[in-house]
Amino acid sequence: MTAPSGPASAGAPAVHCRSLGVSFGAVRALHDVSLELAPGRIHALVGQNGAGKTTLAKVLGGLQVPDAGDVRIAGQEIPPGDVRAAKAAGLAMVHQHFSLPPSFTVAEALELTAARPGGHALYRRGDLHHRWQEDVAEIGGKATLSTRIRDLPVEARQSLEIVRALATEASVLLLDEPTALLTPTAADALFERLRRLRDSGVTVLVVLHKLREVAAVADTVSVLRDGELVLGPADMSDVSQGRLSDAIVGPGARDDTSVGVATAATGTRHTLLELAGVSSAESAFEPGLGDVDLRVESGEIVGIAGVEGNGQRSLVSVIAGLSLTEAGSVRIGETEVTDAAPARRRLLGLRLVPFDRNSEGVSQSAALWLNQAALRLLGRRRRGSPLISLRQFKRRATEEMDRWRVRYDTVTQPAESLSGGNIQRLILSRELAPGLEVLVAAQPTRGLDFAATEFVRRSLQGLRDAGAGVLLISSDLDELFELSDRLLVMYGGRIVGRFAGPYDRRSVGDAMTGAVR
Amino acid sequence: MTSGLRRVVGTVALVLVSFLITALILRVSGYSVGEVFSGVIQGAITATGASTSSIRWAIPLLLIALGVVVGFRAGFFNIGGQGQFYVGACSALAISLGWREGPAGLVVLCGTLAAMLAGVLWSLFPGWLRVRFGTDEVLTTLMMSFIGALVLQYLTAGPMRNPQGTGQTAASERIPETFRLTGGSGVSTTVLLLVAGVTVLVWLVLERTRFGLTMTLVGRNATMARWQGINVRRVGLGAFALSGALAGLAGAVELYGPAARLVTGFSPEVGFTAVVVALVGLLNVWGTVIAAVFFGGLQSAILFLPIVTDLPPPALVLLHGMVAFLVTIKFRAVRRRRAAQAEAPAG
Repeated sequence: MTAPSGPASAGAPAVHCRSLGVSFGAVRALHDVSLELAPGRIHALVGQNGAGKTTLAKVLGGLQVPDAGDVRIAGQEIPPGDVRAAKAAGLAMVHQHFSLPPSFTVAEALELTAARPGGHALYRRGDLHHRWQEDVAEIGGKATLSTRIRDLPVEARQSLEIVRALATEASVLLLDEPTALLTPTAADALFERLRRLRDSGVTVLVVLHKLREVAAVADTVSVLRDGELVLGPADMSDVSQGRLSDAIVGPGARDDTSVGVATAATGTRHTLLELAGVSSAESAFEPGLGDVDLRVESGEIVGIAGVEGNGQRSLVSVIAGLSLTEAGSVRIGETEVTDAAPARRRLLGLRLVPFDRNSEGVSQSAALWLNQAALRLLGRRRRGSPLISLRQFKRRATEEMDRWRVRYDTVTQPAESLSGGNIQRLILSRELAPGLEVLVAAQPTRGLDFAATEFVRRSLQGLRDAGAGVLLISSDLDELFELSDRLLVMYGGRIVGRFAGPYDRRSVGDAMTGAVR
Repeated sequence: MTSGLRRVVGTVALVLVSFLITALILRVSGYSVGEVFSGVIQGAITATGASTSSIRWAIPLLLIALGVVVGFRAGFFNIGGQGQFYVGACSALAISLGWREGPAGLVVLCGTLAAMLAGVLWSLFPGWLRVRFGTDEVLTTLMMSFIGALVLQYLTAGPMRNPQGTGQTAASERIPETFRLTGGSGVSTTVLLLVAGVTVLVWLVLERTRFGLTMTLVGRNATMARWQGINVRRVGLGAFALSGALAGLAGAVELYGPAARLVTGFSPEVGFTAVVVALVGLLNVWGTVIAAVFFGGLQSAILFLPIVTDLPPPALVLLHGMVAFLVTIKFRAVRRRRAAQAEAPAG
């Protein structure tokens, strides 16, 4: 590792931005954010999903042109959106998702992306290895210069990204959620590494999700909420975990910590969905499930809270039968479905509102009626003609869509011509049709406007009141508090907290950020 | 509906542009464009036996192209119709030569089923590679085509070679006349009814069965289909199988129809032209019927032209290629747009 160059001018903040503003259409990603980061320290930036962390990181790195404000790195003003100038001023960035080409060897990837002076247009493999010999030791593990990127374990890839970033003698290192894909042990190793960098004079700005990690590594912390800087940069010693949780989650935490819960009319209860000791393999971007016990009974909404990426997708995949369990059992109603195909689960009355309505919920280019009728294609008819009546399919689809007040011109238009709220209504009209026993709704109101959100929430309550079971996965705490009869918190693929209303926002927030384990 | 009409107009315009460019090239090369195109009309429609010949060539094109349509409906691009056609014809030939004494109806039925089965196997292997490992089916079906052509070459030059044959190209013995469904013209009521029946059947499967609608969902967005509980792999394999069966059937019809024996490398382009036929037919059953008749006419004209003009046959292949070229560009553009929307149906 090369020694980092010191700050350009003594006393100047390593990173200094003033009144940054960024909007994406009507969405305000950043608003009037001013931030000064002292050199030679580890600064953490935290906030909920959509708070503007990644946008801020991109603006600093010159990857996003701000609508307002300016950025200085080591005292040098960076023209808006100028990646090269930011690099030249000593800023290096490690992105949330890995950026190195998987089919390259470590040496090739470094040569390609790190641009250390002294390279040639043509190279011999030996020279290349000579040039990067020292750096590979930093990656750790069994990685060698001729290992292919795709064969590296996740932690090693992460290390390599950092090696690459630092190879250009950076004085400011910016990491966007580097721990998202790491195991706790690997994260600790990363933190150790960051501390060593700090001690050698590098300024580190690291975007983090989990308070435990902030406490473990940061010297100062800044909190973004809804695009505004609500706290910091404050020395970690001056900030309690409680205050930090409050700053992240929002107002209303201190005085009225409880939010009323809608009570359901319940008759005799029976279990509709049950997971017992379920574990599953981790996926590319999420931890797998770890020993998850969960039950949804008739006439209740069970909420799943958690910072995104803590196993919610794994949970829904396992329930839907889209990914396999490694241990434990899944039941729908009385039937064990641990190894059953997705179709069988659907036929047993499992209904799903997927995370991404546009890619998972509908087929954009397919006609509305076909999208609406998708579930009716399942199963085999033993009796009668193998032919189906399109007219009947379309009429049924029309009826269902009208009942759910989907706005459309003809049933043959493609789903992509509908607005987000209307697409969600279309999905509900399909999933909430008769036959439903239990609904798993994943982020059902994300990105919807107020009216559509209300509609979806009332629909879920209606289902519950009609005696169905609902598992609601959401990153909107207010929504969860309002709708859930019980609330479970996921962290790292496990259920780390179980709450019953009235909910205490702070203790739920603590569980979400891994502060209690 | 208007967007559907726009697509039809666009495709017709594309064919016209191909004609125009070809005319331009012929003109520049010093041929009389009027004479050539009048020759095309004669060769495809008006000359004695020309329309029969056009239908004769349209039949294999249609059957194979229907297979392309089926595959594409589920999101797969089976361009290996040529190989599936060959192994189908070879299987029918093996049954027919091996059981010469059998009752004609039964032998032809068995031969046809064997041809379809061979086509299924020939396309199911790339299909399995696709759904299991995500291997690009365009490459694998194409490569299987070459293998199919070599199988034909081996059989006609080896085990099935007609020892009395004197021709320069290796050919098999002829099947008994009683097995044939048509005369040398390749068109008969039986074959026309068979092809019409198969076409309607394919249309019914695609548009009026759960399997067909499921294929449409899988082809348009496999991720969504999976969330809906659809077994995407099974649907994909089904589409590959049906696709191969149709190409195999085309092989049997060729053998029991005009060919009566197999010559090494016969109809070397029919499987690839069929892909263009399907694309020009907008991957729709009835559109494909029209396109097949059009390309059948073109094929017939190519064979006829040297009789009336001094034009070498490859000059019309130019027209052929031009259509294929333009249609492919248009198709790739559409497909790329769609690929950006939904992830590829693998695993």
